[in-house]
Amino acid sequence: MQQPCAISVQNVHKSYGKTKAVNGLSFSVKHAGCFGLLGPNGAGKTTMMKMVYGKAERDAKPEGVINVLGFDPQHNPLNVRHLLGVVPQDDNLDVGLNVYQNLSLFAKFYGLSGSAAKTAIEHLIEMMELTDKRYSKTRELSGGMKRRLIIARALLNNPKILILDEPTTGLDPQVRHMIWDKLRLMKKDGITMLLTTHYMEEAFQLCDDLIIMHKGEKVIEGQPRELLEQSIEKYVLDIVNKERMDKIKDCLNSPSLRADISRETLHIYSNHIVELNEIASQLEPGDYFLRAANLEDLFIKATGRALDDSG
Amino acid sequence: MTQDNSSPYPPLSHRIYAVWYRHMRVYSSNLLSNGLPPFLEPLIFLAGIGLGLGKYVPGFGNVPYVVFLAMGLPITTAMMTAAFECSFGTFINLEFNKVYDGMLAAPISVNNLIIGEMLWAATKGFFFAFAVLVVTVPFGVIPLPGGLVMPFIGFITGLMFASLSLLVTSYVKTISFFNFYFTGFLSPMFFLSGVVFPLAELPEVLRYVAEALPLTHPVRLGRSLCLGQLRLELLFDVLYIAAFIALAGYLALKRLRRRLID
Repeated sequence: MQQPCAISVQNVHKSYGKTKAVNGLSFSVKHAGCFGLLGPNGAGKTTMMKMVYGKAERDAKPEGVINVLGFDPQHNPLNVRHLLGVVPQDDNLDVGLNVYQNLSLFAKFYGLSGSAAKTAIEHLIEMMELTDKRYSKTRELSGGMKRRLIIARALLNNPKILILDEPTTGLDPQVRHMIWDKLRLMKKDGITMLLTTHYMEEAFQLCDDLIIMHKGEKVIEGQPRELLEQSIEKYVLDIVNKERMDKIKDCLNSPSLRADISRETLHIYSNHIVELNEIASQLEPGDYFLRAANLEDLFIKATGRALDDSG
Repeated sequence: MTQDNSSPYPPLSHRIYAVWYRHMRVYSSNLLSNGLPPFLEPLIFLAGIGLGLGKYVPGFGNVPYVVFLAMGLPITTAMMTAAFECSFGTFINLEFNKVYDGMLAAPISVNNLIIGEMLWAATKGFFFAFAVLVVTVPFGVIPLPGGLVMPFIGFITGLMFASLSLLVTSYVKTISFFNFYFTGFLSPMFFLSGVVFPLAELPEVLRYVAEALPLTHPVRLGRSLCLGQLRLELLFDVLYIAAFIALAGYLALKRLRRRLID
């Protein structure tokens, strides 16, 4: 029987000792959709992912529910893992082996061998553009190639769901765009994706729906475009020279403006660009930067500017 | 991506085999540096201790000293290789290169992973004991055909020390802690388990200590079978070995599970 959602998570809690990593989280991922878990470091994104594929167990109390393609990953981890592929945050390839061997060893974990394994591996090597590197040891690969190999490995068993934990962190723009293109193609093929990232552009490029998490809780949920339209002002004026703040202090009382001071920068948000232009005209050209608001502004509005150094 | 994955995940035997196969492939990808030392090491040991020191030591009963010593060597070698594999090796896979995290993203359970690891360490025990046999038999220091039992005792010894080492690893937070295990436990045991001299030579109190130590039992079992001396006492060794593997293995599984699953 087809489940209404590929992944459904209801009221899930997870603590490590006294620390609450995930606190009453609920969301659902529709079939062939891409769902983003966003949030600063330590927000509980990776922990939530691990619970989805049975690498972490949720708290027994209060009781929560996780359903992945009809299975509870805590009780049937092998059923779940057979149907999904995981791209972890850390590279965990076998460094002493080459690209082909890394894939063929992993194919065995899925029970693929002989010609079936060979066909799948050849296809993935070509798709991830690793053909020239098939006999290179993984320790000789660049960061981008390693990432592509890990994605290829996650696709070996033709998964229905792909779990991506910060798939493009630390990669150059070329590789990042290539990976995004590949992921979009997979989505077209009907693969459901669950993605964590703290790159807002990545979420904007790939996700149909997303939630922003903070300290284990959901703070915002919606579709990227909709959220941009509804939950954040259209324009931002970043004033990078703090000494100029006095000069424009009086302008900030307008009700249509929202100001936010971070360490050395003043950010003024508004839906009216005219108003921001007026303020900017009182400043020197190098002191400010006027731009359209993006998901990152929403992210910061939702989760605050404080650094979370606890995790 | 042409595969149909609607069939259920692979059966138990295949999952354990896949884990074992992964270790075998990684090991054999550096065949020269991994495969040569087990053949050289016993030669050096026998030359230094057996031939050099052995001249000054009379035999025990009608067994020359170098023969007595040589019959313990396959077992201790099997112990050391299994202990290394399941302490340093396991810790690295667990904490540094995150190989286990990769496996646990595939349809492999924690139990499959640990049992595959134990069987691989036992296989290395078999192989290393076999290597000792190969290099010592030409010198006539291990009697045949009795000596052919050694690789099998090596396998069992490998299982024992894989279980124990995995249990130790489950407590270890920093890798240097293993120094205590090797210098503080395994090395002294080498001298107290009837490898270099018969236990009968020990004071009575130490004899009881020796009987409690795990290495004593495969050494006695191996040497007796090698010499064709079947005694009822050996049944005790077999029972000890079976109970040891079962208990240490069970505890290791239980504790490592907590480390592998958050």
